[in-house]
Amino acid sequence: MPEGLLLALVGLPFLGAVLAGMLPTAARDTASGLAGAVALIGLGLVWAAYPTVAAGGVLRAEFAWMPTLGLNLVLRMDGFAWLFAGLVTGIGALVVLYARYYMSSEDPVPRFFSFLLAFMGAMIGLVISGNLVQLAFFWELTSLFSFLLIGYWHHTAAARDGARMALTITAAGGLALFAGVLVLGHIVGSYDLDAVLAAGDRIREHPLYLPALLLIVLGALTKSAQFPFHFWLPHAMAAPTPVSAYLHSATLVKAGVFLLARLWPVMAGTDAWAWTVGLAGLITLLLGAYIAIFQNDLKGLLAYSTISHLGLITLLLGLKSELALVAAVFHIINHAAFKCSLFMAAGIIDHETGTRDMRRLSGLNHAMPFTARLALVAAAAMAGVPLLNGFLSKEMFFAEALSAGAPASPLLNVLPLAATVASAFSVAYSLRFIHGTFFGPEPVDLPRTPHEPAGWMRLPVELLVLACIMVGVLPAATIGPYLALAVRAILGQDVPDYSLAVWHGFNIPLLMSLVALAGGVALYLILQRQLNSREEGPPLIRRIEGRRIFERAMVFLSWRLARRLEGLAGTRRLQPQLRVIVSIALLAGVATAWLRGVGPGNIASSPVDPVLALIWAIGATFALGTAWMAKYHRLAAVMLLGGTGLVVCVTFVWFSAPDLALTQLTVEVVTTVLLVLGLRWLPKRFQIAGKQGPEILTRTRRLRDLAIAAGTGSGLAALSYAVMTRTPPDLLARPFLERAYVEGGGTNVVNVILVDFRGFDTLGEIFVVATVALTTYALLRRFRPAPDSVEIPEQQRDQGGGALHADKERPAAGWLLVPSTLTRLLFPVMLTMAMFLLLRGHDLPGGGFAAGMVVAIAVILQYMIGGTDWTEDRLRLRPQLWVGSGLLVAAGTGLAACLFGEPFLTSYFAYLELPVIGKVPTASALIFDIGVFCLVVGATLLMLVALAHQSVRSHRAAPRPPAPLAARRKTVAPVEREG
Amino acid sequence: MELIVSVGIGVLAGSGVWLLLRPRTFQVIVGLALLSYAVNLFIFSTGGLRTGAAAILAPGEVGSVTQYADPLPQALVLTAIVIGFATTALLLVVLLATRGLTGTDHVDGRERER
Amino acid sequence: MTAWTDHLLIAPIIVPMLAGAAMIVVGDRWRRLTVTLGLLSTSALLLLAIALLGLADAPAVQVYRLGNWPALFGIVLVLDRLSAVMLFLSAVLGLAAFLFSLGRWHRAGVYFHPLFQFQLMGLNGAFLTGDLFNLFVFFEVLLAASYGMALHGSGVARVRAGLHYITINLVASLLFLIGVSVVYGIAGTLNMADLAMRMRSVAAEDRGLLETGLTVLGIAFLAKAAMWPLGFWLSPTYAAASTPAAAILSILSKVGIYAVLRIWLLLFGSAAGASAGFGGTWLLAGGLLTIAYGSISVLATQSLPRLAGASVLISSGTLIAAIGTGRVAVTSGALFYMASSVLAIGALFLLIELVERGREVGADVLAVTREAFGTGEEDEEFGDKDAVGVAIPGTIAILGLAFLTCALLLAGLPPLSGFLAKFAILAPLLAAGEGAVPATTWVLMAALILSGLATVVAMTRAGINVFWASPQNRAPRVGLVEILPVALLLALCAALTVRAGPVMDYMQDAAQALHAPGSYVQGVLAVPPGEPGGGR
Repeated sequence: MPEGLLLALVGLPFLGAVLAGMLPTAARDTASGLAGAVALIGLGLVWAAYPTVAAGGVLRAEFAWMPTLGLNLVLRMDGFAWLFAGLVTGIGALVVLYARYYMSSEDPVPRFFSFLLAFMGAMIGLVISGNLVQLAFFWELTSLFSFLLIGYWHHTAAARDGARMALTITAAGGLALFAGVLVLGHIVGSYDLDAVLAAGDRIREHPLYLPALLLIVLGALTKSAQFPFHFWLPHAMAAPTPVSAYLHSATLVKAGVFLLARLWPVMAGTDAWAWTVGLAGLITLLLGAYIAIFQNDLKGLLAYSTISHLGLITLLLGLKSELALVAAVFHIINHAAFKCSLFMAAGIIDHETGTRDMRRLSGLNHAMPFTARLALVAAAAMAGVPLLNGFLSKEMFFAEALSAGAPASPLLNVLPLAATVASAFSVAYSLRFIHGTFFGPEPVDLPRTPHEPAGWMRLPVELLVLACIMVGVLPAATIGPYLALAVRAILGQDVPDYSLAVWHGFNIPLLMSLVALAGGVALYLILQRQLNSREEGPPLIRRIEGRRIFERAMVFLSWRLARRLEGLAGTRRLQPQLRVIVSIALLAGVATAWLRGVGPGNIASSPVDPVLALIWAIGATFALGTAWMAKYHRLAAVMLLGGTGLVVCVTFVWFSAPDLALTQLTVEVVTTVLLVLGLRWLPKRFQIAGKQGPEILTRTRRLRDLAIAAGTGSGLAALSYAVMTRTPPDLLARPFLERAYVEGGGTNVVNVILVDFRGFDTLGEIFVVATVALTTYALLRRFRPAPDSVEIPEQQRDQGGGALHADKERPAAGWLLVPSTLTRLLFPVMLTMAMFLLLRGHDLPGGGFAAGMVVAIAVILQYMIGGTDWTEDRLRLRPQLWVGSGLLVAAGTGLAACLFGEPFLTSYFAYLELPVIGKVPTASALIFDIGVFCLVVGATLLMLVALAHQSVRSHRAAPRPPAPLAARRKTVAPVEREG
Repeated sequence: MELIVSVGIGVLAGSGVWLLLRPRTFQVIVGLALLSYAVNLFIFSTGGLRTGAAAILAPGEVGSVTQYADPLPQALVLTAIVIGFATTALLLVVLLATRGLTGTDHVDGRERER
Repeated sequence: MTAWTDHLLIAPIIVPMLAGAAMIVVGDRWRRLTVTLGLLSTSALLLLAIALLGLADAPAVQVYRLGNWPALFGIVLVLDRLSAVMLFLSAVLGLAAFLFSLGRWHRAGVYFHPLFQFQLMGLNGAFLTGDLFNLFVFFEVLLAASYGMALHGSGVARVRAGLHYITINLVASLLFLIGVSVVYGIAGTLNMADLAMRMRSVAAEDRGLLETGLTVLGIAFLAKAAMWPLGFWLSPTYAAASTPAAAILSILSKVGIYAVLRIWLLLFGSAAGASAGFGGTWLLAGGLLTIAYGSISVLATQSLPRLAGASVLISSGTLIAAIGTGRVAVTSGALFYMASSVLAIGALFLLIELVERGREVGADVLAVTREAFGTGEEDEEFGDKDAVGVAIPGTIAILGLAFLTCALLLAGLPPLSGFLAKFAILAPLLAAGEGAVPATTWVLMAALILSGLATVVAMTRAGINVFWASPQNRAPRVGLVEILPVALLLALCAALTVRAGPVMDYMQDAAQALHAPGSYVQGVLAVPPGEPGGGR
């Protein structure tokens, strides 16, 4: 039974929220009806739980959530939770009824009620959480939904700012609470509330008690708008008044004091607690009351009075006394009653007159006498006038202020005085609320002509005021049992005996009350002129405004500072990034080698061969030359690069790697062609003669780069030497050499590895090539040359208009006659050679890749000599098809094995005699290699041809590069394709 | 031998890194080409340097590490070469596109303001 | 190796491979056919991933020997829980991004679909392979595809960012190669499991060298994982990339994380003899710095895309740091976090474009600067008409809800999996029983919580500017096929929240296996039945 009840209690509001959210915007009555029903059902459920709770029992329901981490959904309702659940649902119902009439008929209220219900659900979940993490969970939810509620009228800047401020502060507090809960869980070893409540001493003794306390108190104070976090609350009144009435009275801000009271038994009683909680409460009590007097906005006044009253509660919780706790709980209830009714009254006034400015309001007593009476009573309760509920809890407070064992003497001495002053203030602002609004001369030029509101709109106020009076007159009979229930739930057995009597005889608290009353009236009279002046805000501290400070701080921290730091810690330029990466790799490598130590190698280095030394002398020169030339003489750089590549080739040959040499050579050729094709589109760059050397900045930068380069070079050299001079005990090479022929069916071990042992690598590799080819193709379709490289370069103009496209019908007449004839003769030869390489690849150096490259070279030769158009007239190339089919063949070969129940890429081979070529290995690997071949032909041609075409296409130059801002943003609408 | 090759690798890598850190796209791509030479040689060299021991078996032979050069690094280098070739081509096209669209050949697509 | 189910392991690589190749043959002429192929492939991948999730949930790892060669020198695919999770994530994001691209993006340039398929192929291959060099190959596949995806649609911003992205990744790949070859030169193997075995028996004078190589390898991974200060390329690239590409990229950065998780825990786990726990503190420190930088740039960012990019940094940093703590429970929390954040960020990237449609360029900048200079119209008279709410168009409402959800997920606020994920990392950190809590724990805890706060602030600012402050005169035109993927991803996050318990158990098993790789190693090196001595 408890499971169902508790689950329904939490779940129904959320369910209702979803339903309300789906309603059409006009469905005002449906939405409000739904919300009201949910609230009332909730209240009913709470009432249904009363017998159990009254008997001192605890309703408990547990559902597994993340059991391994000790986070379960635990719903737990004891007396205290019961009391709060009752407040939340009961006042919730009243607020819904009120809102139904308050909200304008054009307002899309379903959204409003949806948020309200969700908020109610979160609040209920918070108060009946039996697990601290879960409590933090719902805690943040209340922040979230209050954010949505406060920002409900988001078209006004006030609502937006208020909402954001509320969320920022309460969410931050919530995160602090979360951290605190984690620490508490670490101390106790469990997040379960019962376990935590049972471990009081352990917690208080633990070294981590202080951090836990501070974090949790931080959460509570931010939520309850305690100094120095009080300033968000007044701006939260930008919310619709029903929301304010709800947040201020029964829910959001009460969550903080709820938490403090909840953990009171285990965390209170230490000096640290008394200082943090008590001091914050005391300051807030005075400050809030003081500022409240000087508010001109009705809701502003009420907001600050809320702050002040919460300060009172917090202060009571901060005192080391059970009686103070009783007083605190009692005042929580009372404050809820009168504050809610006051907000509603303020809302009615606003609704009927169109303003909340007390400087414009006056004399409404005639227009709306009944509302005036209600407000009068509620305000009196707030001021603590006898025979009203506010009076009782305030008397208790006074008594505590006199007797409580405050932590340190100064606080102790100041308490009674502070209490009296604060309550004098509260008398003053209550007086102002009533007198300024309802009495005095007839109001002039109000936006609307005031009159009594609809009866239903007033009903909630009436009920609440009635409650104030009942409790005020017959406390023991009305609120007594429930209060006792709640207090017993917190304190357990050691509940002090307290009397809820109206009359305790003539004693100091009563005297203090009278003084406060008199003082408050006097103060109000004195301040009359001051208050009616146009000046906003309280004197003395008018300049210090919480919100401004907050906004400034936020803008500084979350914007200016962040940007500055980002500028310092990050970069968007490429060079620094590369510099960092290279240096870090270098440093990390060197550091590791240094710290972990590297011993000598296990094989002696072989003697130096002068020839190779000479070759490498040349190679090194080429490399350095490339580095030197690459800026101003690109063509030279490309040539030198090729030279370096050749040296590498020779090295491969030298050290018995013919396949590598072959591949390297072909790749070399194609790369060079690509680079040369690309050069045409790069800007001209001349060394300005007679120009002085670069300025200091550049020179230092270059020196640094030189250092990095030298470091990397020597580092890699050392590493390679170290690796070369040692060989592991068991090389992977052994099985390859052993099985290459026997099981792989090829004598060229490298090729067998490529197409069989590690064929999967090759498969991946050809997909890389294909992908790149497609990308380049796609990119080049959109190619736009820079304006200054559109026209034909002078090299071509020198040759009379450029043979590439000027005269296509006479491709080579007189121009490069000999080479063109030669290349055309060469074409078939090269194709044959490619076939040869492909077929023998499995046994001798060669293979699909090299073969493919050769074909590609052959074709590109035709392009270079014959010109694009001439070649394409005679040679129908469909590179895409080659690419696709190549991939399919290669993948298909692998897949074929699966059909025979073998794993992917399992190879099959046999040798068969061909008349001319001789013994040919017809391993399935060969088919695979053919796939590779096709792919390479296709991909290479795709890239080369696409690049070559750029010079025949008629270009329109690219538009000027747009402004940096626009450049940084992604262009959302993609450009449509072009041919 | 090992000494020469490692020094060679060092020089290639050094000049490659130097170019890599230059502001012009063409320098960067050439630098990357040099670097990939260096790295290819590096991979190759990890198998040890053997002369006249190309891993070409006689039909039916069961080879052994002692008589042949380690074929695996060669296979890895082949893959590396191909991939390096492809990516170089891509980078070339991208830098052409950058040059075309932004009008400059600076690596940041905009001349450095100072 | 006969049952067709044995081939399930390689299917996630084969399916997109064939689909992509076929698409090339088909060409862009018959787009309808291409789209059908893509749809089939992506949805098949999702089903496969689900099946593999089940298959992997076993004590022993699943091994697939390519070419039927024994693991020692052939290439093997290995499936354990971690791989399965990653496969699932990539499949989900793949499907989402694919659907989204059908809205308009796949017409933005040629060959979008094959590139997309190859992207998925590369991802799946990287998650499955058990061979170091093969990992490199698949890294290259997915990178090459990602270049294509990032450049898809061309345009100044993309090309500019693409140049940086490609160059940096080429350098990283070179580092990768250096590392791999050192490993081969010293340990003489490329198979990860075999390497893990040999780690213990490496000669003392060689160990330092091997570790040097692995360090270089690690730098390459961390550069791809965008660890500070190696990750400045990330935000601009992601911000500029075409939207579906960006969504995929959100898991791409996690490939680096995956590699670190896999290799580091395999080679430097407690069983690694003298090398145990090598470099852990550096991971932790780097992760913390990354979180810090990510939080800063989340705050400092002006545009939504960059904001998303910055949150990628935060999640990467969180993961790296969590791994760096080297504790099983924390790792499992990190896995949960990874799932949640990958889905959320993917959704955010998709969402951002929808949100930014129909907003004038530079609106964010204006809004932010207005706030920065506090031009307060907040003191305006609260007029009478203001007391009436404005109805929000349905589309905007949905987008707003989705945005709110993403914000909550990324900031780690309740009620969604983001909160649980952070809890799952933090709880084990603190729950280390008795004894003083190490300082690093406090730092990490602070970093996680403060980064969450930073995200809240930034997201609130952005969300308020987009949805509340700017007048929603016209709702953006959003196709169902575009909002559907977002809903899918967010719904998965919701599922993560509700079924947190079982998911967490799965992740804990995964983490256990990662920290005690014995079963992995044996599973891979075991001689398959019917193959005495291996081979055929």
